[in-house]
Amino acid sequence: MSRASASLIPMKTVITRVRVETENVKTYYVRLPEGVELPKPGQFNMLYVHGVGEVPISVSDVDADSRAVAHTTRFAGSVTRTFALLKEGDIVGFRGPYGVGWPIELVTNKNLVLIAGGIGLPPLRPVIREIARNRSAYGKLIILYGARTPKDLIFSYEYREYESIPDTELLLTVDVPSEEWKGNSGVVTNLVKVVNVNPDETYAFVCGPEVMMRQATQELLRKGFKTNRIYLSLERRMKCGVGLCGHCQMGPYFVCKHGPVFPLWFISKYFWVDQI
Amino acid sequence: MSVSGLYVGHTKGIEMIFNELKRLDYVVVGYKVEEDVLKLRELNSFEELASGVEDVQNPGRYYLVRGKFSRHGPDSLKRFFYPPTLTLFSISPKWDMSMPDYVNRKIAFLGIKPCDLVALKVLDRVLLNVDEYYTRLRRNTALIIENCTAPGNTCFCATMSTGPRARDSFDLAYTRLDSRLVLEAGSDLGLRLLSLLEVEPIDDSTYRDFETVMRKASEKARAGFELSELPELLELNIGSKAFKEVAGKCLGCANCNMVCPTCFCFDVLDVPKIDGFADRVRVWDGCLNFTYAQVAGGHFRSDLWARYRHFVLHKFTYWIKQFGTYGCVGCGRCITWCPTGIDLRESVKKVLRGDVDE
Ligand SMILES: Cc1cc2nc3c(=O)[nH]c(=O)nc-3n(C[C@H](O)[C@H](O)[C@H](O)COP(=O)(O)OP(=O)(O)OC[C@H]3O[C@@H](n4cnc5c(N)ncnc54)[C@H](O)[C@@H]3O)c2cc1C
Ligand code: SF4
Ligand code: SF4
Ligand code: FES
Repeated sequence: MSRASASLIPMKTVITRVRVETENVKTYYVRLPEGVELPKPGQFNMLYVHGVGEVPISVSDVDADSRAVAHTTRFAGSVTRTFALLKEGDIVGFRGPYGVGWPIELVTNKNLVLIAGGIGLPPLRPVIREIARNRSAYGKLIILYGARTPKDLIFSYEYREYESIPDTELLLTVDVPSEEWKGNSGVVTNLVKVVNVNPDETYAFVCGPEVMMRQATQELLRKGFKTNRIYLSLERRMKCGVGLCGHCQMGPYFVCKHGPVFPLWFISKYFWVDQI
Repeated sequence: MSVSGLYVGHTKGIEMIFNELKRLDYVVVGYKVEEDVLKLRELNSFEELASGVEDVQNPGRYYLVRGKFSRHGPDSLKRFFYPPTLTLFSISPKWDMSMPDYVNRKIAFLGIKPCDLVALKVLDRVLLNVDEYYTRLRRNTALIIENCTAPGNTCFCATMSTGPRARDSFDLAYTRLDSRLVLEAGSDLGLRLLSLLEVEPIDDSTYRDFETVMRKASEKARAGFELSELPELLELNIGSKAFKEVAGKCLGCANCNMVCPTCFCFDVLDVPKIDGFADRVRVWDGCLNFTYAQVAGGHFRSDLWARYRHFVLHKFTYWIKQFGTYGCVGCGRCITWCPTGIDLRESVKKVLRGDVDE
């Protein structure tokens, strides 16, 4: 395996817009530094905050005209919590785009089920956008999304837009419903059971917490999905993004560069192993 | 590969080699006794090179006694090419970044063992032309190898095919046979060094002695398992209870990762300063550390046995898939420097036997 030189030095760039999503999630539009290619759906970038640290964040939208890339970030720990303080015009460090994205080209003329849990929706949003833009190239689109509570549903302002895409279904669920909530409750994997598609004509893209991905995968297999039709975006600790620091290993794979998106058959030997 | 064939000289030739390397402006690094441990250090004079000592290595034990042949201490070449801490950049409050000067020192390693030579070749697969710092330093390296006539109790280089005799990629390799020295050049530099010494092509009787010593060394440095099919067998036994049993003694201290000459994982620390400047610093990390696979709100390998399993599988299985070579060279450091004496050879054998009490 020949390997190219990989830089750990971030490029300086600027936040062009900040959008509040939920109580602990905001979307940061960052200008792509000169010479950097536009990210593809499912890729991620390393964002550096001065003196605080660097974290991997998926691309949740790309504005090709202004070369701005959206990163929808949940404030989870020491670095992402300081994200909460960042405003339009602030400077951040940028490295990327990294990783292998969703195999959208495979889905042409096929149906697609997107299964997202919590902060797993942002990496799938570019896929939804692509299908909306190029509707006739793809078959039926089914979006299954679950969050903890109704307040935690990300991008709720654009669900109508999703539903107005022809031949598209959006099914939501929450773990803990509120009084006003009229929709489904329970884990997102329950929704997989009710989906009505021909598994031979359909792909599934899954992104969310590892437990949720395992359950979703089991449901899909039970429905007759083959292991080469199920794609998962794995999450691991990442410190370099380029296959150097070792942290993201799952079995022999460096999730940062061999993934984060893998077809199940690639990783099935390891995926089910406890604490691999 | 040998470019010269074997020659016989006298052990005093080592000093001449040292002097010539110095004359050629190399920083000469070799094992030196410091605080009763062999440490790889820059040698200012030939007298500093450890001599008359032997390192006794057993699981969880290391001490020096008077003796004729020493092997190695906890340091390996890793610390020179891939330092334990390295500042990636410093950043000003206004976002001006400065990178450290990558030193372009010529380093010669004198008297390192064949396993450590191979460990460097393993690191090359991982870091050469990938890590800039490593690559710069690595380009100006001279490697003078001392073949192992007396492997230690934790060594298993013969099983890993990394010793006791260096096969290629060295400048000069020598073997001590009492006061005689069997020499072999592996590069132009090696030939040049060889040409300075009083040597003769090896005679039959010295060659037979050499062969005998090497064969005996090779018989000693065995792990008790064979490599054939090992990668696959370990992976097939990924659910083995043996990992749990072995890890029952593990402290999670990551000493094994730190002393391993091929472990390359790093963490990155951010060091803010009071004046608004900050450093990003790369530091060694290891898969036995608790935080290694921890993420915000979760942990992929919270149990020690799973982290220990990752260590073993990475060395013997994953590394081959990732880089086309084993990640273990059989130097035995992780065994010697494990505070509770966990023996990697035994762990592998336990997993292969699969005869652990349920
Ligand atoms: C490929 C990929 C894409 C991601 N995309 C998004 C996204 O779109 N939106 C979002 O909100 N989050 C995303 N995450 C998770 C996000 O990276 C973590 O929440 C974040 O790193 C937490 O860092 P912290 O310093 O705030 O937390 P701490 O817990 O203090 O983390 C310390 C360090 O551990 C590592 N780390 C911690 N948690 C994670 C984690 N979950 N995944 C990877 N590394 C972690 C980071 O390197 C971080 O610097 C993604 C993770 C990966 C691997
Ligand atoms: S795993 Fe142990 S024996 Fe193998 S190279 Fe590393 S320290 Fe040496
Ligand atoms: S050195 Fe020994 S105790 Fe420490 S982490 Fe390694 S195996 Fe465990
Ligand atoms: S994030 Fe460093 S190896 Fe993948």
